[in-house]
Amino acid sequence: MCIKKRPLSHSIGELDYDPTHLNLEVYFLPPAISADFNRNRLSVQGNHACALAAVAAGCRFYAGYPITPSSEVAEKMSEELPKVGGIFVQMEDEIASMGAVVGASMGGVKALTATSGPGFSLKQENLGYASMTETPCVIVNVMRGGPSTGMPTRPSQADVMQARWGSHGDHPIIVLTPASVDEIYMETVRAFNLSELLRVPVVLLYDEVIGHLIETIEIREPAELKLLERKWTRAPPEEYLPFAATDDGVPEMARPGDGYRTHTTGLTHGENGFPTQDPEEVDRVMRRLLSKLDRNRTIVESFELLECGDADIVIVAYGITSRAARRAVKLGREHGIKVGLFRPITLWPFPQQPFAEVAALARKVLVPEMNAGQLCLEIERLCSPPSKVSRMNRIDGEAITPIEILERVKALESND
Amino acid sequence: MAKEIEIRLSGSGGQGLILAARILSAALTASGLNVAHSQSYEPTSRGGLSRSDLVISDGEVDYPLVTELDYLVIMDQVAAHASTGLLKADAVLVIDSSRVTSPPKGTFKTHAFPLTEIARKLGSGRVANIVALGVLNGISELCTSESFELAVDDQAPRGFRELNLKAFKEGYTLATTGKAVSAPVVSLA
Repeated sequence: MCIKKRPLSHSIGELDYDPTHLNLEVYFLPPAISADFNRNRLSVQGNHACALAAVAAGCRFYAGYPITPSSEVAEKMSEELPKVGGIFVQMEDEIASMGAVVGASMGGVKALTATSGPGFSLKQENLGYASMTETPCVIVNVMRGGPSTGMPTRPSQADVMQARWGSHGDHPIIVLTPASVDEIYMETVRAFNLSELLRVPVVLLYDEVIGHLIETIEIREPAELKLLERKWTRAPPEEYLPFAATDDGVPEMARPGDGYRTHTTGLTHGENGFPTQDPEEVDRVMRRLLSKLDRNRTIVESFELLECGDADIVIVAYGITSRAARRAVKLGREHGIKVGLFRPITLWPFPQQPFAEVAALARKVLVPEMNAGQLCLEIERLCSPPSKVSRMNRIDGEAITPIEILERVKALESND
Repeated sequence: MAKEIEIRLSGSGGQGLILAARILSAALTASGLNVAHSQSYEPTSRGGLSRSDLVISDGEVDYPLVTELDYLVIMDQVAAHASTGLLKADAVLVIDSSRVTSPPKGTFKTHAFPLTEIARKLGSGRVANIVALGVLNGISELCTSESFELAVDDQAPRGFRELNLKAFKEGYTLATTGKAVSAPVVSLA
């Protein structure tokens, strides 16, 4: 496999933060097939695209424990990381994997782990530790049927609420949910950028279908891939406070070896990093911690609108279900039904303002999901009256089809 | 909407259906088409229902899973009736009569050959999946033999290269002439 060191062409939107350490000499997406043969087109599996994007985004550490349907991420990372001087470790379990990832990131390296439901449950404690200690890291959860070991090879979308609230306590976390192989690539890069920039764990959440799907993607012309790194402090060491508030709410991090004194703990800590239970100080530091995502919503939120302008019926869907909804919208429009799609790409924090604007104009909202009803709770909260939201759920390990969605849309249209 | 063709390769786990779909997918991608390849298998490494699906389009593939099959390959009895509900009325069926005792009945165009038996005579029962691809391509002419050869080089184990190419050619000849080059044919069709 050919490795080319050259800049990439992906932009991650409107990030205007000026990073102090920007390394554009990055790893280029290696062609799966020789360029002459594929004419700049690749057949890539979703999980492989995730691994390739992670390396391109500067990830140089992976620790994990293989689990279906996420194992191909680990498999690819084990092939690619040694080529760029990175480290791949297969750990004894998921708890240790998450600990290793957090530790590597504290050491200054961009770090990744990938898992599925049962492993994601085990990672929650250390994931909360990453939130509390503001340690950047990216966690991939390829969703399979649950609960417990459930159906390892069958798809599901039942970890939507766990991804947001799986770890205890109020904590900031970002969850991104790509819906195609190409989007897995782009969102993986964005996951690393957001994680570094905001010092927050980012979960890439996609279903087994998208993870195992192999799609044709175009190789982009090599140009600048915008890669962001965390805010390393340049303060005089005697003045440095590791958790001091800054303009955007994100504290500056001390690069290991630069001579700064830091203290890191999962206990509630003050600006100096040491534990505190002083109510006034706790209130101040916790409000700052929890404000990070709200203050940076414009760069965190991402979504797609399809035919929403005049839509009477708006479908809210993500992952493979959004691909079915996309087809249903096309078919519905051919039948003269004013139907549109709101597709969150950032699942948490949910893009509530953009959605509320679309929902206000719609008479009905349909939420198809491969779970017993999870994102619909957030959608009902954002709709007035909540009764205009209809749920549509499959929990049998099969994807929801375009025709099923179309039939529900037709029924909603005629039930006036 | 862009023109789409839907293909399913189905059989029992371990028959190489996912590899076969990867090879076909690479060959079609090389021909300039967009391909979405999905798969379904059971937690066991051998046996159980296994299938690999391709949605091929000359435009964007909006929904990447199959909804109405144009072509269905059945390599084992376990898969014989699992996809019947997805078949178009005029769908084309390729059946391995060595391992399928009761193929689906209907208005389908059925091509039945003892694919596993033919593969064994060629050198290994393991290339029955490639013989099936040859038959499929003989019927559909979806890709050129050149792009198939490149795809084999890219996707399949090198040690099997010559056998794979021979298996593909054999399947193609079967479909186009009804006659095997190096093995007798018993057709159930």
